[in-house]
Amino acid sequence: MIDFSNVALNIREPVYIQLVLHVKKQIAKGTASSGDSLPSRRELAAMLEINPNTVQKAYRLMEQEGFVVTEGNTGSVLNFDSHTLNLIREELTKGMVRDFISNAKELNLSFKQTIDLVSDVWDEV
Amino acid sequence: MIELINVKKYYGLSRTGLEKESVTFNDGEITGIIGENGSGKTTMLKAIMGLCELTEGRILIDGLPVTSVYGKMSFITEEGSYFPGMTPLEYGDFLKSFFAGFDMDRFLKLLEYFEIEKNSKIRNMSRGQKSKVEIAAGFSKGAKYILMDEPFLGNDMFTRHDFLKLMISSLRGEETILISTHLINEIENFVDRIVILQMGRIKADFYMDDMKETGKSLKEVLMETTGYDEEWYKKLFDT
Repeated sequence: MIDFSNVALNIREPVYIQLVLHVKKQIAKGTASSGDSLPSRRELAAMLEINPNTVQKAYRLMEQEGFVVTEGNTGSVLNFDSHTLNLIREELTKGMVRDFISNAKELNLSFKQTIDLVSDVWDEV
Repeated sequence: MIELINVKKYYGLSRTGLEKESVTFNDGEITGIIGENGSGKTTMLKAIMGLCELTEGRILIDGLPVTSVYGKMSFITEEGSYFPGMTPLEYGDFLKSFFAGFDMDRFLKLLEYFEIEKNSKIRNMSRGQKSKVEIAAGFSKGAKYILMDEPFLGNDMFTRHDFLKLMISSLRGEETILISTHLINEIENFVDRIVILQMGRIKADFYMDDMKETGKSLKEVLMETTGYDEEWYKKLFDT
């Protein structure tokens, strides 16, 4: 079962987007694998105190993006191949790097300064 | 679907409840009605329930006046719609005879969950206990339309969270819910849509997901639309 208990919802992004992102992160990290099941919509809505329609929206988006399947009474299950896994990883890593670069640019760092800093700090973290 | 068509409500000759407003609430949507005290929240809900006479305009529920669809409506209010002289059990019996879809098992289960004594008169209960009876009843009627007027009042923080969880788990997905409140944190992630009222006027009406696409928080939008000035308090220091 995919764990949602540590989701901290922010008030800036649509909730359904945050739910999808949470699942994608777990997939990218390898803590969730194909075949794992998702909680029922109602269960997840009650746990996070969100609208059941929102959970429905998130599940539908994940189905459309092709890594979740929902069948009758068995509920929703993760289902992806290595190609989809790579797409998700790429999406998340590029997103992270984009955020990082825009932060660096905001601080007026040059490309070289940024790369130097990355090399310096890499082993500290 | 609930339709308000040019609805105006004045109390007496001049005191404003609502100023000629039209709005439609779609089936299956959860809408938060927010605004300060006196902005018209309660008036709007009472008008929909048919609890006050309109000065102008009309309200239709599934195309009909509320008087012909009472069985589809549930109103949960701070004032309480129970009879104070009854015990919760007697009240349940009463509701069963009135609402075809009333679910007695569910009502009893909710009372037990809230640790409410089934056989003592509602009149003698605390404010928080009374609101729990009201909520238990309101969610057991099998109503298609659930209207809640400040349901969090009189409840402590933990009860509020319990209540939200309970409310969510009891939804079947077809209910249309209107919830008036000024506790925006509680409902921020729960509602589909927000209607902001100010002095009897609808100042804003939007979907939460659309609002978030703009990168704003509900608090910011609320301050913008109602003209709340965060710096106002600084006037205290000016001499």
